[in-house]
Amino acid sequence: MKEVAIIGVGIHKFGRFEDKSYLDLGQEAAKMALRDANLEWKDIQMAYLSKMYLPATSVARILKPLGATGIPMCDVEAACASGGIALSQAIWAIQAGAFDLVMVLGVEKMPRGFMDPSMIYEKWQIQMGMDTNPSYWAMRARRHMYEYGTTELQIAKVAYKNHKNSVHNPYAMYQKEFTIEEIMNSPLVCDPIHLLEICAPNEGAAAVILCPKDKAARYTSKPITIAACVPTNSYYSADFRAPLDSLSAKTNYPGPTEVASKKAYDQAGIGPKDINCFEVQDTDAFCEIEIYEQLGLCRIGEGGRLIDEGVTEITGKYPVNMSGGLISKGEPIGASHLGQIFEIVMQLRGQAGKRQVPGAKTGLAHVLGAGNNCAVTILKV
Amino acid sequence: MAEEKENGKKVPIREGLFTLPLIPVEQVKLLGSKCKKCQEVGLGKRLTCAHCGGEEMDEIPLSKKGKLWTYTVIRHKPPGDYKGPDPFVPFGLGLVELPEGIRVLSPIYGDPDKLKIGMNLELEVYPLYVDENKNEVMAFRFRPMEEESR
Repeated sequence: MKEVAIIGVGIHKFGRFEDKSYLDLGQEAAKMALRDANLEWKDIQMAYLSKMYLPATSVARILKPLGATGIPMCDVEAACASGGIALSQAIWAIQAGAFDLVMVLGVEKMPRGFMDPSMIYEKWQIQMGMDTNPSYWAMRARRHMYEYGTTELQIAKVAYKNHKNSVHNPYAMYQKEFTIEEIMNSPLVCDPIHLLEICAPNEGAAAVILCPKDKAARYTSKPITIAACVPTNSYYSADFRAPLDSLSAKTNYPGPTEVASKKAYDQAGIGPKDINCFEVQDTDAFCEIEIYEQLGLCRIGEGGRLIDEGVTEITGKYPVNMSGGLISKGEPIGASHLGQIFEIVMQLRGQAGKRQVPGAKTGLAHVLGAGNNCAVTILKV
Repeated sequence: MAEEKENGKKVPIREGLFTLPLIPVEQVKLLGSKCKKCQEVGLGKRLTCAHCGGEEMDEIPLSKKGKLWTYTVIRHKPPGDYKGPDPFVPFGLGLVELPEGIRVLSPIYGDPDKLKIGMNLELEVYPLYVDENKNEVMAFRFRPMEEESR
């Protein structure tokens, strides 16, 4: 299969921007990626927009003002994994030989507070109060604590690490360190998950430009190869993200993160031990512990030990969420995976400043969310 | 169906969720759909098995008694058109494992700070609100059984 490379990346800080429209956010990230790839907009042959909450045909509204060049464009949505599905579409299009230069843009501008439940839940679920998104993660956390002895302190340590990492990330919403006490004393949202252990929906944008690897040297001296990009949806009853009414108590399948990462490792020809840095879906701090296990960084049930032993610190064996993760960046849904890709590209180019994992040559980005949508992307120098 | 739409009747919050009739309410159970091919059970009336794709489903009443498999506590008023108590009162939400091999997501009635995994629970079908036609809209929740609430 033809290899595909990233030749340019751009980002608009994640946060709240009252004075900017989603057009502004998206255009800034797109222009930054074009400059990074030494390209002009007219060079791009196809564009995908990853978004969940923006209106219909947002991609044309955002990108046509850069020049109505007549190229095909489309919006793509797969909840928190939207960026992964958009990126894979672009890769497949290049591999099919349809295009050489493709932009994948992720943009979101979300209302404050809980997400609009009617986007995800049926009316009866909303009326009965079963539509608080963090409740699903919290129930997973409670069961994990029961089965494996994971503690509230271990969950808080993940939030501590990610907030601490974000201090050095100019693109994060909160660049602020919190103490373990502040985290554990912040209000409970859904037991056992506290406010400072949860990501906030917000606004932001990120963009990548792709081309066949054998043509990448025309545009950049530091192309990053996409070793794998695997979007997936879960097997029967294998995960419980929202929305949900019942699960099987009899049948067990591996969860979507396990399935996607295993396929991605196979495609890339490397395993978790060969990967130097990770950006993962820390929708809440517990989620990150479970993802350590599902990505194969440790055995099932041992995720709490990893955070205790500092394995996932920037200085550890498996650095996770060097950017500060979604807990400190916030989660502009359509942009989140591409924001992770931006971070990994910075790491692999050696341009991550104080967040730099020394000598990083490989990196993995992971997203997971509503409808059990998931994606794992592996990048290498 | 038509008679249930008249004023003052009990109506289900979702069609196909409960055994009928809805009176007497003590005898109402949750309805499950069991696949004839693979035996997997889903909540409510279903035409297709999400496990094997089978299209022959048996409607079965689900046991009213189960055990709490996991839970959380909803500490803030849920978003959207929540029909629970106003002003809001925190409540438990959990997966309740039933003998039919299904875990059902349900609000858990009672003191949310006394929940624990494995506790015995019992189904309660109850009127959640009165709709614009003055019908009682029937919802469900599980509550701790007597010996658990001491």
